[in-house]
Amino acid sequence: MSDMPFPNTPRVDATDKVRGAALFCADDARAGMAHAALAVATIGRGYVLTVDTSAASAVPGVRLILTHDDFRDVKSAGFIMGGGYGFQSLLPMLSQAVAYRGQPIALVAADTLETATEAAALVQATYEAEPFSVTLDAPGIEIVNQADTPLKNFFPEAIAGDADKAFEEAPVKVEATFTCPPQHQNPIELIATVAEWKDDKLIVHEGTQNAEAIRHGLAVALGISPEHVEVISPYAGGGFGLKNSLQMQTVLAAVAAQRLARPVKLVVPRTQVFHDASFRPATRHHVRIGADRAGHMVAAIHEVDAQTSRHDLFPGEYASTSARLHGFEHFRGHERLVRTDVQTPGYMRAPFEHPACFAMESCVDELAYVLGQDPVALRLANDTAIDPISKLPFSSRRVADCLRRGAELFGWGARTMAPESMREDDGTLIGYGVATGAYPGVIVPTIARLKVTDDGGVVISIGGHEMGQGIRTALAAAVSRKLGVPAERIEAVIGDTRAAPQHLTAGSWGTASAIPAADAAAESMLTALRELASGDISASQTPAQILKAAKRSALEVEVQTKAPGQPDAIFDRLRSGLVSVGGPVYADFVTFSYIAHFVEVRIEPRTRRVRLPRVVSVADCGRVVSPLTAASQVRGGVVWGIGATLREASEVDPRYGGFLNADLAEYVIPVNADIGSIEVEFIDEPDFKFNSAGVKGLGEVAMTGVAAAIANAIFHATGRRLRDLPIRIEHLL
Amino acid sequence: MVATFDDAALQAETTVASTATASLQINVAVNGTPHTLTVDIRSSLLDVLREHLVLTGAKKGCDHGQCGACTVHVDGRRVASCLTLAAQVDGRQVTTIEGLSPRDGSLHPMQQAFIDHDALQCGYCTPGQIMAAVACVQEGHATSTEQIREYMSGNLCRCGAYVGIVAAIQDAAAKMKQV
Amino acid sequence: MRPFTYTKAATVAEAVRVVAAADRETRFLAGGTTLYDLMKLNVETPTSIVDINSLSELSGFDTSGSNELTFGALARMSDVAADPRLMREYPALSESLWRAASQQLRNMASFGGNLLQRTRCAYFRGGEPFACNKRNPGSGCAAREGVNRGHALLGGSSACIAVYPGDLAIALVAFDASIDVLGPNGQRTIAVEHLHREPGTTPHIETVLEPDELILRIRVPVTHLGRGSTYHKIRDRESYAFALASAAVAIRMEGDTVQDARIAIGGLATRPWRAREAEKALIGQPLTLLTARAAGDAALRGAKPTNDNSFRIELGARTVADALMIAKQRALAS
Repeated sequence: MSDMPFPNTPRVDATDKVRGAALFCADDARAGMAHAALAVATIGRGYVLTVDTSAASAVPGVRLILTHDDFRDVKSAGFIMGGGYGFQSLLPMLSQAVAYRGQPIALVAADTLETATEAAALVQATYEAEPFSVTLDAPGIEIVNQADTPLKNFFPEAIAGDADKAFEEAPVKVEATFTCPPQHQNPIELIATVAEWKDDKLIVHEGTQNAEAIRHGLAVALGISPEHVEVISPYAGGGFGLKNSLQMQTVLAAVAAQRLARPVKLVVPRTQVFHDASFRPATRHHVRIGADRAGHMVAAIHEVDAQTSRHDLFPGEYASTSARLHGFEHFRGHERLVRTDVQTPGYMRAPFEHPACFAMESCVDELAYVLGQDPVALRLANDTAIDPISKLPFSSRRVADCLRRGAELFGWGARTMAPESMREDDGTLIGYGVATGAYPGVIVPTIARLKVTDDGGVVISIGGHEMGQGIRTALAAAVSRKLGVPAERIEAVIGDTRAAPQHLTAGSWGTASAIPAADAAAESMLTALRELASGDISASQTPAQILKAAKRSALEVEVQTKAPGQPDAIFDRLRSGLVSVGGPVYADFVTFSYIAHFVEVRIEPRTRRVRLPRVVSVADCGRVVSPLTAASQVRGGVVWGIGATLREASEVDPRYGGFLNADLAEYVIPVNADIGSIEVEFIDEPDFKFNSAGVKGLGEVAMTGVAAAIANAIFHATGRRLRDLPIRIEHLL
Repeated sequence: MVATFDDAALQAETTVASTATASLQINVAVNGTPHTLTVDIRSSLLDVLREHLVLTGAKKGCDHGQCGACTVHVDGRRVASCLTLAAQVDGRQVTTIEGLSPRDGSLHPMQQAFIDHDALQCGYCTPGQIMAAVACVQEGHATSTEQIREYMSGNLCRCGAYVGIVAAIQDAAAKMKQV
Repeated sequence: MRPFTYTKAATVAEAVRVVAAADRETRFLAGGTTLYDLMKLNVETPTSIVDINSLSELSGFDTSGSNELTFGALARMSDVAADPRLMREYPALSESLWRAASQQLRNMASFGGNLLQRTRCAYFRGGEPFACNKRNPGSGCAAREGVNRGHALLGGSSACIAVYPGDLAIALVAFDASIDVLGPNGQRTIAVEHLHREPGTTPHIETVLEPDELILRIRVPVTHLGRGSTYHKIRDRESYAFALASAAVAIRMEGDTVQDARIAIGGLATRPWRAREAEKALIGQPLTLLTARAAGDAALRGAKPTNDNSFRIELGARTVADALMIAKQRALAS
């Protein structure tokens, strides 16, 4: 195993992308394609009584209209976190029930997109409306203690010692409540499906993070064998958790394509994406930290209320990350799920870790001010090598290095402690804030096939999806280094159920899972090549030269890797398209990635706009396989943190249900002018305990802690503790 | 530009071209190639480029002029093709990402700069970013980081590649001048 | 989107004649950035469209006149924004253009069309099931008791509190601009300040224009206040967003004293809102943070908050005050 850092190499698919030649699902514009559009429910909950499709079907060019009468043979593929495949268990149009506003009630397919769109708008429905609840405190909600459900077997509460007693007895206490709004992932690529049947085989093109769940989910939904389903997804135009499972439109498009015996393209409009796919649920966090007078954190309690849907329990895993931020002696986490009448919320970049770190790291800053201690020093003094919950050692934990290096790069030493103590001559308030973030280190089973050919080609077929994080580039870098073949000659076939089983790519486990598999495949290939050459190969010989010398046109190897301690049966689960994660607590260690963010805010003296001229982020993600794309990942995570903290909230009108600001003008994600300098560094120390490549996850830890760093900087600038996201002008006037 | 408001001209009457059918014929040059197309009157330029001409570099992210992924040039100016009726480009020149670089396979300096500065991740907004970026330079709006940030704010990048995008534009702006 | 017929007008007179002869569901099409957008939402459902983009006589503008600046209704926002004379002599006008939308949309959107931009109220744009008197007269106003952080504080009625979202019109109102419109009965001139109607009981009728009247040009009287002007826009992000509060102000100073002042506010009212009381409060006073803030308060006098938007009274006043301080710098430098 090489212990050398990797060099900077360009993104391997960048040339196609800058040419507009990378083909996304909706770029399939073949002749003969039918276009589909959806009509959606306008009530917050209840039943569709009648669906009048007469006006829609009268539009010339309309070929098919499907309503709840047309799905009698279709069944739900289940909820991904309930042993199934869908983003929620509810598949629309299987019955007349309406669970939330925006749920599809009819599909129209036509020869052109214009016709389908026009006709879908002409579908008229009558309803029987029922009362509904869409906010955490609304009448009619139902609160479920997660620990009282079967979820406790998979997501046990993070508890160590007696946190309540220790908190009670602690001489220094801080306690606060934080809220995070519902937010939407909003990748710029809309969710979309192109479905086509060839004989009895269903071929689906879709930008996804989970081709295998689509394949198996379709098989369950349509009652066909998974052998008859292929899912192809070379590129996803951003995922961020939105595309982690079978979407509702996939099944609808597949059924329409079957009825029409024609390929069908269904691109879900942005407003419908807000309602017919997952989102980050609203949460409320009650945090208490107790410390001794020297600042040693003896106890922390983190209690969370998190929104879920009426029909599914979206598990909460908030406190299991906040527990790992510092060396708490005693800790108690507690999650309650609040059932509301929405589509099932789900995973949105750092789904639990962003809110959890916002709450805990804001509270730690409050503790620093109660103690009168520097926020960096307080964190350094509470570092630990031992996991507070399991009492196992961390496989690696370089958060102190992140803090020290970040403080140096940022110039933290120039900060004066008192709030409102730093300002420009014109009255602009300046604030410096710091926070750390953490994200669990998880690995999934991976099967890789590596093939070399005598023309110099190298193809690795492996589980994994490219949604911009750079997995293709990381795979090329890893295989290139092992085989001594230039990265541009290495083709990674990913996101394709024909090539290899495709586990969900999410949870920042992509690199930590795929790179060790790619490494192992390359090692196996080197062994096979040595055998082929009877052990007689020199370092300068390429695989192609060895093949030619041995008069072989190609050589292929297959390997499989999995998380430490996972049983071999996990590969069957992988092949079934089910989530098969291992970690972050392993038999003799615990793995988390860490990051420290330092931000400078500048706040206008009167109109109080908050600007972030610079951010410094130092990450501990183990070995960095693709430094260029990894740095971009971190910058992207910081941009997400800025958006989540200062911009984004999905607005809810309890009288109507659904989401109100359901477009990209009113749901304000950061624009170019919002972003200043973002300086990124890596500790780049491999964690070989975790896996053979020494890689830990990065994509999501990058976002964790940003919100707290900004909120802490705003406190430093203004003296105001703002505990409800997003922080906007009205909170600072 | 100086306006002339000749009242006589305002009162003059000439024939108008009226179309009362569901489709319409337009003549448009796309990436230098003239096309005569019969399009649905309701069609956006974006949908015609993508579904009729199979030029799928321009992307649909919002369909309402809110994201910039559909940016193309019409008569050398950047526009949101999703909010442009195809009928409006009759008689005009459209340039898409596919027509930005020479046919010999080399890259436009802006495309190369986007690679060099890793100014992209998922790549979905990238064609729109690059078309906007080229126009940003040509308009003279790439003279400072602040100006680039302002004039590139019509192109959302959810992956958050903004730092790289600004660096790429600064780099390419210098090279585009030399060309 | 519903089908419609499409006509390309070759002359101004023809455009007006065609629309006058057609039913009331006929629309002029200029840049299309509002009309086509709302057609995609089925909020605008014209049966017929008259494309006026070929009317080259409406596409120019002239900022060199000694009495007035003239802008053809089809002058594109981006072109006018970049006019060096306008940037120098009337920064508020230029800023109101380039701080709106994105360069892509400004390349498309016309000067005249921009004045008629329609509200961003989510209940208006969202269609079914939301009550909206503007979209569907008589259905009620969901915004009054709903999510109304961005809704109007001034000029609202029990029927509608939708904000007029434009920027350019705010600056034009500050500069006493007027428009020339042509209808079947000839030409008339309307002050931009009187172009937009308050919603009252008929929020679906947004301007005093008849459906068959076409804006020909916008005229701005030459003024010595131009150089000391700004359009200050506060929004939820740094760019590409609608105003939470904005102010177009222009002042002339003599020594420390304000000789003349124009103040109009945007993002806060149901129509472009000239704040004459604020102007009066300022004239003859020294311009300090204190007097600027007093002018801001005067501009927001009479504001009626709903659930979520009361902060914008304070924000609006501060925005006016900051705008005045920016304008002062410019006035003193000129």
